[in-house]
Amino acid sequence: MALRKATTIPLQSGAADESSALESLVRQLSGPDVEERRHAARNLANRPDAAAVLVSRLAQETEPDVREAIATSLSAIGGREAVEGLIPYLSSDDAALRNTAIEILQHLPADVASHVDGLLANPDPDLRIFAVNIIEALSHPRLETWLSDILRNDPHVNVVGAALNLLSEIATAAVLPAVEQARQRFAGEPYIDFACRAVEKRARES
Amino acid sequence: MPEPCISDVDFTMFRELFYRKTGIWFEDGKRYFVDRRLSERILASGKGSFRQYYQKLRWSDNGAEWQALINALTVNETYFFREVHQFECLVNSMLEEIAQHKTPGGVIRIWSIPSSSGEEPYSLAIYLLEKWRKLSEFDVEILASDIDTEALERARAGVYSARSVQYLPKEYLLKYFTPLPGDQYQLNEEIRGTVAFSRINLVDPQDTGMFQNIDVVFCRNLLIYFDDISRRRAAETLYDALAPGGFICLGHSESMSRISSLFTLRRFPEAIVYQKPIRRAP
Repeated sequence: MALRKATTIPLQSGAADESSALESLVRQLSGPDVEERRHAARNLANRPDAAAVLVSRLAQETEPDVREAIATSLSAIGGREAVEGLIPYLSSDDAALRNTAIEILQHLPADVASHVDGLLANPDPDLRIFAVNIIEALSHPRLETWLSDILRNDPHVNVVGAALNLLSEIATAAVLPAVEQARQRFAGEPYIDFACRAVEKRARES
Repeated sequence: MPEPCISDVDFTMFRELFYRKTGIWFEDGKRYFVDRRLSERILASGKGSFRQYYQKLRWSDNGAEWQALINALTVNETYFFREVHQFECLVNSMLEEIAQHKTPGGVIRIWSIPSSSGEEPYSLAIYLLEKWRKLSEFDVEILASDIDTEALERARAGVYSARSVQYLPKEYLLKYFTPLPGDQYQLNEEIRGTVAFSRINLVDPQDTGMFQNIDVVFCRNLLIYFDDISRRRAAETLYDALAPGGFICLGHSESMSRISSLFTLRRFPEAIVYQKPIRRAP
């Protein structure tokens, strides 16, 4: 017994390349065994036709490791079906599900961009804040425009605060008129005035 | 081009962004070091100001600048017996625990990824030969993988500079290496022959699906270069490659707890490592 060179790759008997048939994986995804569910979620990362199933399962899954694997796979798959399935979760009472949905959507900039206007027009201010959380990760030419529109029009102080917070990282001189409008619209809010000054300072440095 | 100015606010923004990306936090005392390296990268990237550079990092980098920046702000040099406390932990703690679950004569598998030019897997081989008293009771296989085929070729050749072997005890250098002209040293064939090298992309399931029943993984200073999703996929891959009860060693600035909840943190006297639970509840 000693050090020896591995002559074969250490395969687990029967585990390599187990049938990746969609039906079988979908069945495992909702089975009783946690490890099987996690494996199924991982293996479905290469199956774009599984997006809807994964989105649906995400809301039912209670095991954090499996939920994490589903989120990773959905982030890899992306696409319209995934995004449209996840957006309703932003209104969920389940904070973990909501945060997971935000996290996945942050990784899908190309697929999410066309939904941003709709999210920012939603009557629920919490959902509009989540939309700001999502767009903060997007590299999109309309980013400043979306944020400026919030400063000009959004009626809720917390949504405007979230937008200012993000602008304090990225603002250019183009947003200064919108910043001034936000200050005037929320003249009685010391936090907004403070955040406006931070954005103005950042914009003038650019 | 003049040296870019990095204000206090810039420094705060930058270290928060760097922490979010890599898990590495710079205290205020590191300000001078960070400013210098950051300024160099700003100029090298062709950006005229911190602000422009920050925007590139935040939104439009394809990964190349992040890699250059992480290289500039971390010690990424590889050499024999680097972070040797983890090797001590291997022989004093992890292997002792693994051996309890093996039958005499059983196989123990250790996987080094990324193996780069071979310093880490060969260090493991030397350390086990010299320090693990139970080596004679088991067959130990060392697997070594990297995505870079040129690095793998260098590893197989086993020729190293004096700098690369500077932390090896003198007696090991004399015992396991042959001096070459030009202040270089070649690892003896006997040791080179114990390590199985392979080309692997850690986030490609086609590459990694075959690796199973690994007892210990050394995956140091690799995950800091990945984006969030790739990092999590890599963690899941490593988890699936490990045997139940197997261990994973990360670089000193890395934390699996930030990446995945799959592993259990283990504090041994020599090092903190992560373990795949032996059993999971159904």
